[in-house]
Amino acid sequence: MALPASARTRPHYGGTLRVEVEGDAWQRNAGLARRLVLDGLTRLDAEGTAQPALADSWATESGNHLWQFGLRPGVHFHDGSALTSTAVVASLTAACGASCPWTAVRAVGSSVVFTGDSPMPNLPALLAGDNYLIALTESWSASTAGGVTPPNVKGTGPFQFTELNNGKLILAANDSCWQGRPFVDKIEIAGHKSIRDQWLDLSVGRADLVEVPAEQLRQAREQHLTVAVSPPVELLALAVADGGILANPNLRAAIALAVDRGALSNVIFQKQGEIAASLLPSALTGYSFLFSADRDLNKARELRGGLTPPPLTISTDGGAAMQLAAQRIALNLREAGFNVQVADPGRPQFTDLVLLRLTLASNHPRAGLESLLRAVGVATPVQESDPAGLYRVEREFLDTHTLIPLLYLPRAYAASGRVRDLRLGPDGAPLLAGVSLEDAP
Amino acid sequence: MSLRQKLLLLFSLTVAAAVAAVAWTVLVRIRLVFEQRDQQETALFVSQFQREFQHRSAEVAAAVDRTAASERMRVLALELAQSGDASPYLNEAQTLAQDAQLDFFEIVGPDGKIVSSAQWPARFGYPEPAATAAAATFLKREELPDGTTALGIFAVRAVRRGESAAEPPVRLVGGKRLDQGFLADLPVAPGMQICLYSDAGLNQNPEVSVTEAAPSATASSPTPFDPRHLVGAYGEVASAARYQTLIDAARQSGQPASGILYLTDRREDSVSATAIPLKDGSGNVLAVLTVTISRAGMVQAQQHIRAIAYGVAAAGILFAILCSLWIAARVSRPIERLAAAAEEVAGGNWETRVPEGGRDEVGVLARSFNHMTAQLASQRERLVQTERVAAWRELARRLAHELKNPLFPLQLTVENLARARQLPEAEFDEVFRESTATLGMEIANLKTIIGRFSDFSKMPKPELERIDARDAIERVRSLYEAAGDQDAAKIRFEVQLSAQSMPLDADPELLHRAMSNLVLNAMDAMPEGGTLTLSAQP
Repeated sequence: MALPASARTRPHYGGTLRVEVEGDAWQRNAGLARRLVLDGLTRLDAEGTAQPALADSWATESGNHLWQFGLRPGVHFHDGSALTSTAVVASLTAACGASCPWTAVRAVGSSVVFTGDSPMPNLPALLAGDNYLIALTESWSASTAGGVTPPNVKGTGPFQFTELNNGKLILAANDSCWQGRPFVDKIEIAGHKSIRDQWLDLSVGRADLVEVPAEQLRQAREQHLTVAVSPPVELLALAVADGGILANPNLRAAIALAVDRGALSNVIFQKQGEIAASLLPSALTGYSFLFSADRDLNKARELRGGLTPPPLTISTDGGAAMQLAAQRIALNLREAGFNVQVADPGRPQFTDLVLLRLTLASNHPRAGLESLLRAVGVATPVQESDPAGLYRVEREFLDTHTLIPLLYLPRAYAASGRVRDLRLGPDGAPLLAGVSLEDAP
Repeated sequence: MSLRQKLLLLFSLTVAAAVAAVAWTVLVRIRLVFEQRDQQETALFVSQFQREFQHRSAEVAAAVDRTAASERMRVLALELAQSGDASPYLNEAQTLAQDAQLDFFEIVGPDGKIVSSAQWPARFGYPEPAATAAAATFLKREELPDGTTALGIFAVRAVRRGESAAEPPVRLVGGKRLDQGFLADLPVAPGMQICLYSDAGLNQNPEVSVTEAAPSATASSPTPFDPRHLVGAYGEVASAARYQTLIDAARQSGQPASGILYLTDRREDSVSATAIPLKDGSGNVLAVLTVTISRAGMVQAQQHIRAIAYGVAAAGILFAILCSLWIAARVSRPIERLAAAAEEVAGGNWETRVPEGGRDEVGVLARSFNHMTAQLASQRERLVQTERVAAWRELARRLAHELKNPLFPLQLTVENLARARQLPEAEFDEVFRESTATLGMEIANLKTIIGRFSDFSKMPKPELERIDARDAIERVRSLYEAAGDQDAAKIRFEVQLSAQSMPLDADPELLHRAMSNLVLNAMDAMPEGGTLTLSAQP
């Protein structure tokens, strides 16, 4: 999970870290820049437990219907304004709107109070997620209105925006960060770079940190790249529309039985994935074996019951491996009698099946399960804390076959030799605030 | 129909028939020549296509051969045989296909399953029946990820690992598309168009095609004709639906089919088409190559000739009209004059004559006609003279008869008067009075007879008018019926007339006088009385 430290034991300040990513650096869940600029009220530690961040304490009342978070004093936004409970409430309201886990949030003195119609047992962990990072509302509104990566979002994170130059996001170290100043002076994040270009830039010294998709991990190792790999944090899953011909639960069950997870894991993702039939990985729950991941084509055909469904479409917004996986699933489903076409990735449209990646935001089972469910639109809070209860929640949800877990995949980054102390967070994101450069002065 | 019209019709039909016969012969000859040329060009193209197909097949085979013989493939085959793990080679086929410039490329493991596929990377692990094909190169319809299929020329080669030949080898299946790019490379003659029809539509039975993807499985049941699957060297083909009959015939029979296709309603847009089925190794028709040669040149030539024929026919008909007019002037007009003169003769004008021109039959006929009418006139004159003499004789006889009747009493009276001189004066006076009365009466009778003859000689010119014959008869009856009753010998009048009017053009007075004479004569002839019948019928 962490790169070995080099011979120099004490990290030096200074230098510019050059990072290249395939997607948008500002996007939620996988965007690196967001977590460098913004902080949440809480953060998750390696075990997935919520730890204080902008909030230094919290307490719950009324059976988890009310939560009060006390703000850390002395925290300032990048423009120098103080972090206040009013600013936090405004930020949270603007960020999530009606899809919040809470019913109401209000500022009470230096505290922020959340109230909900239903219990919110996982609220501290949920607040550590990308969706609930705190920013100055004015800058947040400006950033979201344009729809582009904003150079002017003001947060409280270890880095602050300086400029957006030719698609390259430049972040400068926040000297007055409440966590302490990061080691590097500046981070340049170049977005929308293909993996091939990233690796080329890494090999010629034009980049210090690049992405390594799971399906290319073996290739990266063969090329002797220095790679940091997270535990399985991304759930590859097939979302099945619950309408039209697929409103028939037998057809959805047939689809779930027809997918060959082994081929996806062993060939397309080059044995780097962990076959999954449950939402949470086995390491978190221990009950994953109770969900069958075996392919049963005969039963799938039997469930189809001789029906000839109209042509279905499958789409994915991922890269080449995701497209290939979608094609493979289409091929698997054709064996079971479904005529499935892969939608053109460049032409957004409604599709019956969507192959997507869900990030396991927390490695705390209950919070992780709720975050996954919220990611697919199920807003019911998970209150069970024992494995049996979690299993029951998962089973009830998965029996609808509207989401079919396929694989758990790790996230990985390759770093150049000048990068030291690279660590990945519980969601697989690199913790760049702790990174220092070998050749820094 | 007059002779002139008959002549005009005859000449026109003759000219038109002659021109039509010549034009038809020329048109048929032109069509045969063009069809022969089209057949030759089609045959030439087919041979060129076969050469190009063989050349393309040789290229594919050479490319697959080179790849199979490469060190990279040998190592891959060796590693695959040793580890049995095909996952590291998932993207290998795409790289190899690019290097070999092939559109299709698949690496098939010893177990017959796809290790890597360039055209459909997700198909790894599925069987590839084409890998065991016996032919060096063959035609194959390849399924693609988007649900369509593509036609290609394929070759299969085994990768030698230097091991025992008994072990199943790794095989390479490579191919190039047979599409509009291939068509664009073919040399075509001007006016010729090459198109390719293949069932490249959506797979109708995905379950079968994926799991049991034998080449013949998808080809054995031809799908309905879809015009969108007919492509030319430069994309879609206009009026593709018109090719259906020909293409279906080639697909169903497996043999080339030829015919004329009308791409639009205009004849110039018709083509002479030949559909050549392209088959796989099992003899299934995978595609149909159509060779079309425009018939515009032939149609234009035919139209040109047809226009000339119309012109010649029109000129011929005009010429026929002129000829008929001339012939009419020379032949039919004298005949028409003769016919008119004959009608005049029939109407009583025996003085009619026709011009006697020329020495031909018509001239002889005219002279004979004139001679005939002259003869007829002469004979009529003689007949009239004879009749006149006879009439005078009859008149004299009747005059003598009429005069003799009163003369006889006159003679007797005069003789009686002469004898009466011997009688006493009183008796003589008595006889004298009676004799003078008789003489006066008879002389009056003679005057009447002479007056009648005088009236007859002064026959007035009749003044014709439309009268009803019944009225004229009734007038006579009413005049003389009373006289008949007063006679001692009673004469009874009986009239028999039609109920319908009987119009008659006649002079009423002369007719009345004539009928009165007839009635008087009849009454005179019936001294004993009797029935005088007056009857008239329309």
